[in-house]
Amino acid sequence: MSNAAVVTNAGAAVLEDVVKHFKSGPDIVRAVDGVSVAIPRGKLVALKGPSGCGKSTLLNLMGALDRLDSGRITVDGTDVSGLSGAAEVAYRRDKVGFVFQMFNLMPYLSAIENVMLPMELRGKPNAQGRRTLAESLLARVKLAPDRHRRRPTRLSGGEQQRVAIARALANDPPLILADEPTANLDSTTGEQIVQLLRSLASGDRTVLIATHDTSIARQADLVITMRDGKFVRPDSAPPGD
Amino acid sequence: MKTLRWAVRALLRSPLRAALLVGVLSVSIGLALIMITVDGAFDERLEEIQSQVGTTVTVQPAGSFGGGFIFRGGFGGGAGGADGEGGPGGVGGGPDAPDAVDDAATDDEAVQATLTDDAVEAIASIEHVTSYSRTITEQYTGDDLIGGTIEPPANSPFAGRGPAGGFQVPVIVTGTDSPTALSSLGVENVEITSGRTFESDEGEASVAVIGASLAEANGLAVGDTFAVNEVDVEVVGIFVTGTQFGDNAMFLPLDTARALFDREGEVDAITVQVDTAENVSSTAEEIRVTLGEDVADVTTQEAAFDAISAPLSDAADSSQIGMIAALIASAAIILFSVAIVARQRVKEIGILKALGASNWNVVGQMTLETAFVAVIAAVIGALATFPLAQTVANGLVSDPTIQVGGGGFGRPGADVTAGAGGGPAGNLLGEIDVAVSPEVFGYALVIALGLALVATVIPAWYVGRVKPAEVLRYE
Repeated sequence: MSNAAVVTNAGAAVLEDVVKHFKSGPDIVRAVDGVSVAIPRGKLVALKGPSGCGKSTLLNLMGALDRLDSGRITVDGTDVSGLSGAAEVAYRRDKVGFVFQMFNLMPYLSAIENVMLPMELRGKPNAQGRRTLAESLLARVKLAPDRHRRRPTRLSGGEQQRVAIARALANDPPLILADEPTANLDSTTGEQIVQLLRSLASGDRTVLIATHDTSIARQADLVITMRDGKFVRPDSAPPGD
Repeated sequence: MKTLRWAVRALLRSPLRAALLVGVLSVSIGLALIMITVDGAFDERLEEIQSQVGTTVTVQPAGSFGGGFIFRGGFGGGAGGADGEGGPGGVGGGPDAPDAVDDAATDDEAVQATLTDDAVEAIASIEHVTSYSRTITEQYTGDDLIGGTIEPPANSPFAGRGPAGGFQVPVIVTGTDSPTALSSLGVENVEITSGRTFESDEGEASVAVIGASLAEANGLAVGDTFAVNEVDVEVVGIFVTGTQFGDNAMFLPLDTARALFDREGEVDAITVQVDTAENVSSTAEEIRVTLGEDVADVTTQEAAFDAISAPLSDAADSSQIGMIAALIASAAIILFSVAIVARQRVKEIGILKALGASNWNVVGQMTLETAFVAVIAAVIGALATFPLAQTVANGLVSDPTIQVGGGGFGRPGADVTAGAGGGPAGNLLGEIDVAVSPEVFGYALVIALGLALVATVIPAWYVGRVKPAEVLRYE
């Protein structure tokens, strides 16, 4: 992270006038249009809004999967907007954990190997240590031990999402970005997944969930509503703030 | 090891595709390996042929190259050609040769065209010259012997137009200082049918080895004597060559011949042996420079080598082209395959990058998968080389048992391939023995790794362009 500007900030993430536009034929889509917010540490934050309002784009910008046009994003002291190359790779690997709507597990790896994958990418030594940690993470997300060595195709949707959450935790990142994590799950399973994410948001770990499901948003410490690329208003203040 | 295991698993997600890729690559890599092996066998055989026919340099007086009876009746030599006909160097000879004897015999300037022992000493001092032999050639003009007769072939223009009983062949006398080697008699297929050839300690003895036709025409047998320029010469051996002209020839020790024909210190032809085939051209050139091109004609057996090895050289060229084509096909197959796989796995690439994989992490895994496929294919291809290489080699050489003919009416005293007649001068091309060595697995490994390296080009380019946000956006 040599080219990252480190800023001092008490928040888990700070967004300052972030802009991301896309060209769509002759039109310009203002996916994120000048948003600013400070996301506190250790909280479950819901980013709520209808489809196409810019939630996923904002998560992608915070996770350094995309480049912002202007503005500034700082996550855990790292200026994401200034990242490139190896620093960008290291940021994705160490600072954020992604949970996708479609789970996005590697189909040729078992559940435990999927969890070990980010550790491998980080170059963590001691294969047995990686395996032990992966097993404990799978236990934490409540995946039954007999499922640990199964490939994703032999797991249910809820089980796959649990594996995806365990994978997001593998390198102990301070920020978990979950993009519609319950959209492909039934309501009961979705509720379990939200509870799981809820339990992860504590201490130095912040969980940001993009969702259009108001029942999920109700369980968040902070709800940020987006519409047409802009924040509407903070619906509630984080408890304790 | 874990990465390899994951790579194998990634491959086996689509076993049919992996099997097809391995199969197609096996064919192209196997073909390349077969061509490499066959090409090596061809090169080895070419070297053998070159070593057999290519280390002799012939030095004759300037103007005598091309054969015929240019000087004192010596038969013109020439390299053997294929199919028993006159080859590229096989000029002279044939039905016109007897006329050349007359012309040359009356040409006073031509009589001056001789080499001397001084030239021989100069040649002997040249680097790479390992040995030499000298000959002089004369036409017998005495009354004690008559030549045999030959009938023109029934289908020739001369059929039925000659004298009754056929044409009388002139008797050619050759003096040589290399009496123990049959090849020094100037033809490949000389066979002593009676007696012996003369010995090295008979350099000045009045002994002769004569052709079977000459012996028959004069009623001579081993132990008989006849007169040459009023000196009695004893027949110590009788030979056959299978040709009418060759069987009318006579051989004497060099010094004996010189004394009988008053040619002390003179040489009509020097056959020089060079240490290796690679040094033939340079040595021939040095002889030319040393003696002067106005003094001596220096010829090598390149023409003979070219004629003999032409089918093999063509096959070697074909095998090289085949090898290059197979390698290009292998590279194209693997590039095409990797390009398809990269496109199919774009989402997977995006996920890996989102999880913190660098471009090289992703490229590395794809390369490993490709290398695994290439190695498996290469091993299969190498195994296929063992039973198929010989078949392919036989198919590439147009006629592996082609006969190499003598050069028409050859000059006695010339090199091994200069025929005294038009018959086969031997099966010098021979069978191509393709021995597949275990080294083929080494080549296979190199090809496999090379292909894997080539195959990194597309992932390296493609993965760098994949933006995780774009490929994951439309899930």
